[in-house]
Amino acid sequence: MNYLFSPDNWEWLWTGNNFRFILEGFLINLEIAFVSIIFALIVGLGLALLRLSTIKPVSWVAGAWVDIFRNLPLIFLILYFALGLPSSWKKAWEDAVPTWAPEAFQSGLVLGAFLGLILYNSAVLAEIMRAGILSLPKGQGEAASALGMTRVQALRYVILPQGLRRMVPATVSQLITLNKDTTLVSIIAITEVMRRGRIVTSSGFFQEVTAPILQVFIFIGLLFVIVNYSLSRLSRRLEIRERKITGTKLKRVGGLEDQVAIDPT
Amino acid sequence: MIDVLTEYWPEFRSGFWVTCRLVAFSFVVAIAVGTLVAAFRIAPNKWLQRLGGLYVEVFRNIPLLVLLFISFAGLRRAGVDIGPWTAGIASLGLYTAAYVAEALRSGVFSVGKGQIEASLSLGFGYPETLRRIVLPQAFRTVIPPLASLTIAMIKNSAIIGVSLLALPDILKQARVVSARTFETDASFFWAAVGYLILTGAATVIFKILEKRFAIVR
Repeated sequence: MNYLFSPDNWEWLWTGNNFRFILEGFLINLEIAFVSIIFALIVGLGLALLRLSTIKPVSWVAGAWVDIFRNLPLIFLILYFALGLPSSWKKAWEDAVPTWAPEAFQSGLVLGAFLGLILYNSAVLAEIMRAGILSLPKGQGEAASALGMTRVQALRYVILPQGLRRMVPATVSQLITLNKDTTLVSIIAITEVMRRGRIVTSSGFFQEVTAPILQVFIFIGLLFVIVNYSLSRLSRRLEIRERKITGTKLKRVGGLEDQVAIDPT
Repeated sequence: MIDVLTEYWPEFRSGFWVTCRLVAFSFVVAIAVGTLVAAFRIAPNKWLQRLGGLYVEVFRNIPLLVLLFISFAGLRRAGVDIGPWTAGIASLGLYTAAYVAEALRSGVFSVGKGQIEASLSLGFGYPETLRRIVLPQAFRTVIPPLASLTIAMIKNSAIIGVSLLALPDILKQARVVSARTFETDASFFWAAVGYLILTGAATVIFKILEKRFAIVR
């Protein structure tokens, strides 16, 4: 306890620009999470629609795809893409990425990280969206086709607006999980907050003040707790509001880590 | 493809068992601590409730990788002699315990206040009410969320193998094999098969449990 709270062991935080250095690293994590969630939402919606397709082989293939990527560890996917992608792809990424993009995005390894994050999260989000769409009463779709809407029109104007709205809280809690998962990209040598924490703790950065590993990572953990806690509050509020409007209980999605934010009682 | 598996079978097999052991031990820790925290959260004492709530919010919102750094590198530097197995199992177990606690809590609330009041008025004490009336029913309703958590735990256990703890689990062994053979695709393919076997088995086991303990209404 003495060791933990002794001011000597926290001095590193105010020395030099350690504080800013770590905070900037944390910002990179948030940026990675932001970009990944945007693409994962788009791909996830596509996968959910393919899975609900009336053409049997299409829905079967989409279902197998979703189930495989949902049940593999995310770190496995990230590592595989970082090691297994041909270097020409990484090169292409380095050329294609705009110069105004954050510095950490310029390395070709980021492509592997993004592919892993997007493939995994799009599969999870596809399952969430499918559950949302399936939770609608069957009459909605039938009424739409009785009104003479085509299937595409029914999806566009009746099913999706209602089905996706129900899944907003679950999506926000998946965003929390994704936010935590961005620390995994440190394993493939992208200098986000974990890497920066290690740089700060390694000797030779600010020689006169040593930064103990324990305190540095408790501080980093605290940053995540603050951001994710606010997100989970938001998710809970959305959930309550949604429950009031629709009066329905959400369908459970299997295999998710954060069941609680989805299904609180 | 198959020759990578046959040639490096001992590596893959030992990795598979290491992952199994990690998940099994962490599961025990998660259930034990999770039950305790859930009991705190529904205790009649306000301070215990807050303590339980703090535990859940902290461990649910912190990345597992940060926990591993704190529990292994951090504590070692602070002079605590902690091994990679203890650190890995403790981190994964305590991390999942927060989710288990929340799942149990919502299960307890599904039991209904009337039953608790009835039990209290029959002269059962608070701990006894919890143990004999509430928990047996709550465990039934939390089987589906526990299934999800177990699958998430199997997936999260892969983080232990690649972090600085470097326990030789499936993913770590796949990296060893791919470094030795330069067959990244094949070795990662077999690792994926290993993980899918584990997550698939967990799904099936919990489906059976769910059927067995289903409440007939």
